[in-house]
Amino acid sequence: MAINFRKKKNADQPMEGNETGSASVQVAGLSQGQIIRKRFFQHKPAIAGLIFMILFTIFVYTASGIHLGTDSAKFEIKGWWKYSFDELLDQGSCADGCPSSDHPMGQLPNSIDYFAQVTRGSEISLMIMVVIGGLGGFIGTVMGSVSGFFGGMIDAVMMRFTDFIITVPSILIGAVIGYNLGNFGVFPLAIFLGLFSWTGLTRLVRGEFLTLREREFVDAARVAGASNRRIIFKHILPNSVGVIIVSSTLLLSSSILIETGLSFLGFGVQAPDVSLGLLINQYQGEFIYAPWLFWWPGIIIVLIALSINFIGDGLRDAFDPRQNRRINRKDFLAKTATRDAINKR
Amino acid sequence: MLAFIGRRISLALLILFGSTYLTYQLAAYSGDPLAGLRESTDPKKEVIIAELTKTLQLDVPPPARYFLWLQKALGLATGKPDFGDTVLLRFPVIDQIATAIPITIRLLTISTILAIVLGITFGVLSAIRQYSRLDYSLTFLSFFLFSLPIFWVAVLLKEYMAIQFNDFLANPTIDLVSNFVIAAVLGFIITGFVSGTRKRVLITFGISFVTVFALFFAAGATEWFRHPSLGIFGITLLGAACAVGFTHVFTGLNNRKALGAGLTSVALGAAVYYPFGAIAGPGTNYSLMAALALLMVSSSYFVGYFFTKIDKGPVIRVSMLSAFFVALFTVLEKLMQTWDTYYKLSDGRPIQTMGSYNITISSNDFWVTNLDLLTHLILPTTALTLISFAGYLRYSRASVLEVLSMDYIRTARAKGMPEREVILRHALRNAMIPLTTLIAFDIAGLVGGAIITESVFGWRGMGSLANEAIQSQDLNLLMGTFSITAFLAVMATLAADLIYSTLDPRIRIRK
Repeated sequence: MAINFRKKKNADQPMEGNETGSASVQVAGLSQGQIIRKRFFQHKPAIAGLIFMILFTIFVYTASGIHLGTDSAKFEIKGWWKYSFDELLDQGSCADGCPSSDHPMGQLPNSIDYFAQVTRGSEISLMIMVVIGGLGGFIGTVMGSVSGFFGGMIDAVMMRFTDFIITVPSILIGAVIGYNLGNFGVFPLAIFLGLFSWTGLTRLVRGEFLTLREREFVDAARVAGASNRRIIFKHILPNSVGVIIVSSTLLLSSSILIETGLSFLGFGVQAPDVSLGLLINQYQGEFIYAPWLFWWPGIIIVLIALSINFIGDGLRDAFDPRQNRRINRKDFLAKTATRDAINKR
Repeated sequence: MLAFIGRRISLALLILFGSTYLTYQLAAYSGDPLAGLRESTDPKKEVIIAELTKTLQLDVPPPARYFLWLQKALGLATGKPDFGDTVLLRFPVIDQIATAIPITIRLLTISTILAIVLGITFGVLSAIRQYSRLDYSLTFLSFFLFSLPIFWVAVLLKEYMAIQFNDFLANPTIDLVSNFVIAAVLGFIITGFVSGTRKRVLITFGISFVTVFALFFAAGATEWFRHPSLGIFGITLLGAACAVGFTHVFTGLNNRKALGAGLTSVALGAAVYYPFGAIAGPGTNYSLMAALALLMVSSSYFVGYFFTKIDKGPVIRVSMLSAFFVALFTVLEKLMQTWDTYYKLSDGRPIQTMGSYNITISSNDFWVTNLDLLTHLILPTTALTLISFAGYLRYSRASVLEVLSMDYIRTARAKGMPEREVILRHALRNAMIPLTTLIAFDIAGLVGGAIITESVFGWRGMGSLANEAIQSQDLNLLMGTFSITAFLAVMATLAADLIYSTLDPRIRIRK
């Protein structure tokens, strides 16, 4: 393939000059939050992803209803879809369970309505994703802030602890725990996966704190007599919120892939519960005879992960248009990127 | 430096100890390895259970049992590491791992190399053409690939790349409609690499569309997919194209020395085509092939070396890369000649969906054996490459973009350095530094295996060993595979840090 080394209009030029120039005109008189919001709303794929995620979540939760609690103490709200995901039905108009107006996604070999299964599976996968992302994001932020702000011995110990957690491959840990706790329902599984998913974020937040605590405004605050707590919460954290939000978003998209991967292997969500990965695992053999059983959950996983990735990209552009957080990203890249890739394999 | 390495290694050992301990406990409390046995109706089951409890030391609580395991694994008593036996069949774990590692390495090597090479190439392209059509398409592609669950891709690949392709081979003619679609799609992709005026883009699309259409038409008419072949003419042509391409990338076509060296290497490759065919018969072996490859590469080195007096580096690079590709095409040709034999041996289903080799094909023919390995590799390699390609693409793009905005790049441009040199000498070298860490981790992951991929494609590698160990609660097997993976991961962290500080002198190791 040929590489065109000739300079294109502005493409290769260092962009700082004109970019900041036009940006400052564009954002004159706006607050930081307004600027970020404005930039985010200009990112079309991110907006498309956001709208899809909102509509899809509402659709799935209203269709299948809300199911919480264990078998002994159930809390349920019925959804608008006429069939339930574990209801054995009569065979529909189509002998091999193909999609029809009554069963828009077809039926399983044992005549359960597949639409109910898929919506329920999406509901569970979304729930697990949010729990993993939220828990991982929270622990990561706390660990990273403490480690980066205090430095020294605390930092060394916490970083070695992070290394220790990193060494334990999360898919293996998830498998061991999922196999054991899968019977207690999906919520404990989500919690445990979340407990092992904070490492990347910790390193990133720590790097951010290490840079920020050397800045003048922190010195100024300290000279003015601010306590550590005040400096962390009022000065440093607001400045690193971009990094935290962006990487938590990306954590979400990798956690749906990890959950579905685990369920696919049979270690994540266990029957009779359903999840998108489990559905693919159960019906991959039916691909030739009943391809719709295979296509729906896969397409939904891809759409969810894709939307979240786009939202994350949009947020990154919004918070950090020139992406100049050099050192931190290198650190993050080195320590987490491949782990994600390896986990996904 | 030595003190630093020593301290890091001792810390790494401590971390290893911690993580193996944690894993052991988690695994031990995750289930009962004898559960299957307890439910059996074997009259002697009490005896077997009692015996297994004794050999597996199940009467010792797990927190203490770990140390018994550790003592054996480190070989403190016997001086030889011993990971114990598997629970059910009583095979030594170490043997299982020894057979699994080569399989896993075979599975992951090609895909890792492909992902690194393709990912970095396209990432760099995407970065130096930021905000172009190519950049947007590659960005979208990488997000899309990032979002793909590998087990889902695997099933799709099995259906469309294996089953339907095999069906197609039974009657390998291409009808006009599909040919039209293929040509349009490929033409569209090729056009993506071209920038410039609308006219130029349209012309490129036209040319590539017609070329692809003609090629596939010829391939369909001659049943090329059943009897594939490049011929010495095809090899020379492709090799020459590579030589021109590499010259263009590394030195620019104005550098006649580089072009000459590249083309000479290609001619050399074409000249040894018939002698190679004579030497590399069915009875050849890997060492002979390796020796020939070494000969080819070293002679191309000297071609490059003697072709020019100044600035030998890029010329040698062009010459060696061209020689490498000609050698690759020659080997490919050899495999293509075996295709028909293999097609018949595999009952007309040459692309395989399961396993790492075909047991029913027992052939002494070197080429048939290797073709068999390759046809099993195609699907998992494609799946794995797709997944990791996206990561490399994103990170090399980001890294190059970052470097391109540095002051020293501006300086290099300001002093009048050609853009090619700015990119190759200043930007790329610095941009690759952070990627070395990524590569170090990926290489460490080679041995760890790919649990999902191996289970979908039925490869008996490290990943499926770990999977099996968890399924059957086989502690010895799990700990055996896990300790090796964890050890390599820890070493990769250390290696990455050391490489990083060597490559980038700005980063100092804290004493």
